[in-house]
Amino acid sequence: MIAPKHILGTFDEALASLRNSVLMMAGLAERSLDRAMKGLLERDDDLCAYAIADDEEIDQLEKQIDKDGVEILLRFQPLASDLRRVVSAMKLSSNLERIGDQATNIARRARKLNQHPPLAEIELIVPMQGQAVAMFKDSLDAYVREDVELARAVVPRDHELDELNRTTGRRLVDRMAQDPEQLRGYLNLLFVSRHLERVGDHATNIAEDAVYAAAAEDIRHQAAAVPTEA
Amino acid sequence: MTTPERTAAERVERPVEPPPVDESVPAHTFEVKNLSIWYGEKRAIEGVTMDIASNAVTAIIGPSGCGKSTFIRALNRMHELVPKTRLEGTVLLQGKDLYSSNIDPAIVRRRVGMVFQKSNPFPTMSIGENVVIGLRLNGVRDRKFLNERLEKSLRMAALWDEVKDDLHKPGTSLSGGQQQRLCIARTLAVEPDVVLMDEPCSALDPIATAKIEELIYELKAKYTIVTVTHNMQQAGRISDFTAFMYLGRLIEFGPTTKIFTNPSDKQTEDYITGRFG
Repeated sequence: MIAPKHILGTFDEALASLRNSVLMMAGLAERSLDRAMKGLLERDDDLCAYAIADDEEIDQLEKQIDKDGVEILLRFQPLASDLRRVVSAMKLSSNLERIGDQATNIARRARKLNQHPPLAEIELIVPMQGQAVAMFKDSLDAYVREDVELARAVVPRDHELDELNRTTGRRLVDRMAQDPEQLRGYLNLLFVSRHLERVGDHATNIAEDAVYAAAAEDIRHQAAAVPTEA
Repeated sequence: MTTPERTAAERVERPVEPPPVDESVPAHTFEVKNLSIWYGEKRAIEGVTMDIASNAVTAIIGPSGCGKSTFIRALNRMHELVPKTRLEGTVLLQGKDLYSSNIDPAIVRRRVGMVFQKSNPFPTMSIGENVVIGLRLNGVRDRKFLNERLEKSLRMAALWDEVKDDLHKPGTSLSGGQQQRLCIARTLAVEPDVVLMDEPCSALDPIATAKIEELIYELKAKYTIVTVTHNMQQAGRISDFTAFMYLGRLIEFGPTTKIFTNPSDKQTEDYITGRFG
């Protein structure tokens, strides 16, 4: 949705620049996660190294977005949808940075796993990857297109990912008991599972921020706000 | 010596308590219904309906010429000072029709005081005389009473400490910000129910502005305040409710937080975000 231009052209430029930085950061985080997962599943150390290298740029963009956001608040004192856009951009960048960190963590675990023969249990990670990556992509699409319904739909999917993480964890712990020789490998897979679960949490946060940016509605922590029956 | 352990709750600084509100005051000081005002042939306000909450600050915003100054002047019949004005609709002040034929406009203006954009102390009068002139014009001659009201009004306007030794000096000897607070003290001296402010800070520097804003926050415990401002940030800081007017119409009216974070009307959104025109 394209809002009419501000009377102050420099304000439009500053908002556009902030948005571009967020989109670039999102693209880098997506690429980094994709490279880390391919590095794991295809046992490619080079891709792992690229994923880790991406993190530096993601971190720099986080700082840039914070700086630009503060400058917009200072110089233009945005209100209404402008204010929500600036606030959500700054919150989004924090979540994107954390997703970049998770991608780096996955890449580091993958490099350790790649030093040893492949484990059949890597298959447990595949559905988790599918779920986490799809949630992340949809949350970003919802933010970019200001699609409130798509954003809302991302939130409950996090429960499915949490359940996958629990199931994967139980299976891997069982395998550790059965095959202690491979304990280190299973442990690394366990961590990868947790990192993907965290990606889902950050995607959920992004979806919630997308709803706030587009509709000024705070949908966070709604389950906690509902009183439970005794 | 060791510092005793404090719990997290003890470390929390207590927020400043808001001023106490008199619960005997009705919820709305003004009830404006379908108000239209003409200056000659030109309609300045068209069908405005708005209830103005008691002991709260209501900010009126909108571009120049939108009718906001006419609107607040209609709340104390000051617009009638312009020739060839005509009004339709009703304005109730605490339930009573402000425009009823048996209501004296002079009494209305005593109950509903006004502070203007440019401070306007009477140039030939001292600081003290400026504050009590309203009472004197109403026939009050008791010197003790006048002195008490003088100090009380200047204290409420947060000016007493700065001028208490110079009450005999001309009002115009004060700085711009002090002159504006003197005008507020003059308004408060007759103990109105409502204080109207028409861009009270637009001619002041940031420090004087902050003092007036702080004063407005304190005054709302006792008074209903309606202010016109072009400064969105100021409206956001000081007001509880905000009304956006455009081309003589009330476009949107609601809690300030709602108006400034998620306005319902696109024209409001375009105006407050600087996309107008």
